[in-house]
Amino acid sequence: MGGYSRFSELRFSRRSFLKASAAATAGVLLGGYVTRDSSARLFEPVNAQEAESGTKLIKTICIFCAVGCGVKARVENGVLTGLEPWDENPINGGRMCCKGASIPSSVVNDRRLKSPMIKEGGKWRKVSWDGALTAIAKKMKDIREKYGPDAVFFAGSAHVTNEAAYLQRKFMAFWGSNNIDHQARICHSTTVAGLGNTWGYGAQTNNFNDMRHARCILFLSNPAEAHPVSFRHIYAAKRRGAILITADPRYSRTAAQSDLWLPMRSGTDIPLILGMANWILTNNWHDEEFINQRTNGFKYVKKVVEQYPPETAAEITGVSAEKIKEAARLMAQNQPSTIQYAMGATQHEVGTNNIRSFAILQLLLGNAGQVGGGVNAFRGHDNVQGATDLAVLANTLPSYYGLSDGAWKHWSKVWGVDYNWMVSRFASKDFMNKKGFTMSRWRDGVLAELELGQPSPIKMAFLWGHSTPSQAGMAIVKKAYETLEMLVIVDPYVENAAALADKEDGIVLLPASTTWESDGTVTASPRQVQWRNKVLDPLYDSKPDVIILLELAEKLAEVDDPGWKDFGKNYSKIPEDIYDKEIRVGARAIGMRQSTWRLKRQQEYDFAFDTETLRATGGPVHGEYWGLPWPCWNDEHPGTPILYRNDVPVADGGHDFRARWGTEAPDGTSLLSAIGGHPELNPDGTPGPGWKLDLTTEYRRLIAANKVPYGRGRARFWAWNLPDPVPVHREPLWTPRPDLAGKYPAYEDKVYGVHFRVKTKARSIQEAFINTRLYEKYPLIWTSGRQVEHQGGGSMTRSNPILSELQPEMYVEIHPRDAHDRGIRDGDMVWVSSPRGTEYGLTIAKAYVKARVTRGIRQGTVFMPFHWGGVFQGESYVRRYPKDTAPLVVGESANIIAPPGWDATTQMQTTKSGMCEVSKERPAE
Amino acid sequence: MVTMKFLPDMYVNRCIACKGCEAACKTQNKTPENIRRIRVVTFNKGEPNETNIPMPCLHCTDPPCLHVCPVNVIYKREDGVVLLNKEGCIGCGYCLFACPFGAPQFEQLGAFGTKGKMDKCTFCVEPYEQRDNQGKLIKREPKPRCSLFCAAETLLAGDVKAISEKMRQRQGSTIFRSGGAAKTFLTF
Repeated sequence: MGGYSRFSELRFSRRSFLKASAAATAGVLLGGYVTRDSSARLFEPVNAQEAESGTKLIKTICIFCAVGCGVKARVENGVLTGLEPWDENPINGGRMCCKGASIPSSVVNDRRLKSPMIKEGGKWRKVSWDGALTAIAKKMKDIREKYGPDAVFFAGSAHVTNEAAYLQRKFMAFWGSNNIDHQARICHSTTVAGLGNTWGYGAQTNNFNDMRHARCILFLSNPAEAHPVSFRHIYAAKRRGAILITADPRYSRTAAQSDLWLPMRSGTDIPLILGMANWILTNNWHDEEFINQRTNGFKYVKKVVEQYPPETAAEITGVSAEKIKEAARLMAQNQPSTIQYAMGATQHEVGTNNIRSFAILQLLLGNAGQVGGGVNAFRGHDNVQGATDLAVLANTLPSYYGLSDGAWKHWSKVWGVDYNWMVSRFASKDFMNKKGFTMSRWRDGVLAELELGQPSPIKMAFLWGHSTPSQAGMAIVKKAYETLEMLVIVDPYVENAAALADKEDGIVLLPASTTWESDGTVTASPRQVQWRNKVLDPLYDSKPDVIILLELAEKLAEVDDPGWKDFGKNYSKIPEDIYDKEIRVGARAIGMRQSTWRLKRQQEYDFAFDTETLRATGGPVHGEYWGLPWPCWNDEHPGTPILYRNDVPVADGGHDFRARWGTEAPDGTSLLSAIGGHPELNPDGTPGPGWKLDLTTEYRRLIAANKVPYGRGRARFWAWNLPDPVPVHREPLWTPRPDLAGKYPAYEDKVYGVHFRVKTKARSIQEAFINTRLYEKYPLIWTSGRQVEHQGGGSMTRSNPILSELQPEMYVEIHPRDAHDRGIRDGDMVWVSSPRGTEYGLTIAKAYVKARVTRGIRQGTVFMPFHWGGVFQGESYVRRYPKDTAPLVVGESANIIAPPGWDATTQMQTTKSGMCEVSKERPAE
Repeated sequence: MVTMKFLPDMYVNRCIACKGCEAACKTQNKTPENIRRIRVVTFNKGEPNETNIPMPCLHCTDPPCLHVCPVNVIYKREDGVVLLNKEGCIGCGYCLFACPFGAPQFEQLGAFGTKGKMDKCTFCVEPYEQRDNQGKLIKREPKPRCSLFCAAETLLAGDVKAISEKMRQRQGSTIFRSGGAAKTFLTF
């Protein structure tokens, strides 16, 4: 071995590295890096040494998706220098995807907005914070006097802390309008409506760790790409023999790891699930005992399911009947089985029904309220669950109280303001109870071309941590931006809107800090609240969201109404007081009653928590579940990691389906569980709604008696208050199958009427599409989704040098058959076009992107990632960014192509099942 | 005696191409654009046997790059980590010829489009060209961030004995599968 001798004589004589390797050798003998425990122990001496040298390792939470991964930020003398794995965090065990592993480049980045700016006369000008906030407050006052409070629209954010999200909602309440909304509307609003109307709460029922116990998982999204770290639990399940099934028009990275792929047509989730349900009922695989004891309305579902035998489902979905039967068998015979989904299921005009169909399948199989079962809705943003719970939403106050007088009185009491003053803030009392504009249609409130539900159009808008590329119909959104009198954009980076709007005046940019520059709490998808430590002081001239809101309220107290002085009066310690003195006191309807000191204590005792169950053994946290998932009734309650388990006591995180619709269904059947059922209770144990209205009770009496404050009810197969009490198939508005639209038509226009303040239609849009034979001109099904490297509208990730190197391109995925028929080769630049926007007198929507020819997609479907901006219909608008703030990589925004569809319950936008054409030539106007 | 190795799990915890390893490497080692000390490769994209593999330098026992280096700047430490002394590197690219895995990286920043000095995975013992205040290259303990952050727990790293132990545990645990679910993955 000549090589060997050479290497030993030449290389081992170097002292400098011998010393280094000796230290390493001592450590490595402990066992390598391959297990969680050993790697943590191995580097203890090293970590201690680093701490001595002025290096701090700060435990904090990732700022991207809703898995809630923990990470340790390495800070040397106040400078963020890198990351170390937080091995003891039971959710991710120190693991991160590329977005999380490159956070330092997202937080400390030269392309961030460095000071407030105003666009005047076509030029960007730096201004002071005081100047910018004064200008905003004065303009708001001006708008109120001229047009009324409803002329302001506030787009809040799922990328802020719970405290900031809560203050955003409170801000608009103090302002006197319900025109506030955020990403959750266009993300999981249909989950809230779908699951909430089935069993009480609209959130992920189980959690990522719990998926380890599933024996069969049906994926309706692509978590390998959108929620990569969840895969460590999915693989744990797989190692134990779990079967993975993926239903997706794409052969996604998740499908590549699955045992069965169901290549369904976009927009046919319901027939797929009902086809499976049919086969389950045919074979008597359903759980009769569970259905009898804990559900209501089985006969109605049975009647609908009988209309969808696997063969019919196969005809609609394009998946063979054999595969549907096999999927049903696997789900039924490998229990507990769970369903996982995300945007692919929610973003349809039948989104609520899609989600209901998943819940129905799980109820039939008796998988609801089981370890390893449930419906796992994977949410998208780091705090979208929290921002939804705290209601940055047009249809409710925090904690899903709605907009009734009772709700307003409850929250006025929490805020310590007079209810009558609150009423005086609104245009009239009617507008207090009326749902506001949503994220998906607020542009129509600006353009005012359709019938509106308020006297004045919107004249001023805030985009507070919300992106533009995620909104469907981008050309219309652009026009709305240009019509506004003032657009205020609050973001760490310059959001696309600032440059997309071809507008000379009236854009104000405020530099918010990233969420690593302030303390706060953040709620992961499975309702787990984690404390996110501040890593750095706010960089440049930025400020944390909470501070900006409080300062803006102070300005408004001067120019608008002295009542604004009460906005921040309860907070002497920020952010803890916002949570402990208000959220914890008021958010009773979901039991969001974790105290911040408990969350901090959990972080300290992270090592006591078990990855399998998320429960702590020993120490002061003994018995607690990680993140104290709501409902967490009081300071002794461990939290509820799995919703609707009635086999454990309430004090241990058990409960039941929520008795939300009274004790009796309209057909006279009981809505109370056959196992100890009772209605919602007052704190003293008598029936009544006191559990959510009393501001002082700690529920000790109810919990001691093993009673659930909100009752022990039944899950509803039959949701009589929805447009479709039992989900049925409805063809997408833009459908490639006009032959099916007759039998399975879209909702009639009158189901919507003036919906969330704007006239909305469905059936007539579908009929127009079919009658004008647009399905021939635009024959390809269009769908959209995520790239692992980017997040949301991408302002942050596309400015990150690491992520933009890993994924520098926007593209359209197309099947070779469709591509070659059109003369398109892999890598060609192509035009994707659709007729969206023509109804507003705009040209047809089009996007100029690179073709990625792949067999990993169903023939007849194309896929585009939605994170891109900076190019509009073939033309770059990078020049309109303030100097040196444009993202490093730019591309066309996919959602310009999306069809005009909205969910009948929540007004979710349809961005997963449209129609388009792909061509090498620029389409004629 | 320890021997540092990487092992991507190709059987159970298969790579999902989240590229956490690539980003963690860049964050830790501050490598410039074009230097990819680790790369996830995908083959059969969109086909039933689509496979991703994270490819760092494999720190060969008998490294070909070391043999061919004309200026003898590539060396192997006692713990198996293959490194190079950049000061003496002439940027010829012979190591790239020899390496079966394409691990050597060149920044392509030199005058007239020359390759620049070679850079490669250092098992995280050396960040990219970072020196302390005495001008010496910073050395750290071998603690590869790509493996520590790997989301799907695919990429194992450390002493070869510990890795093989871990793989045995993983495969061994699959014996407890039941109910006709014994297939690792089906093709269809």
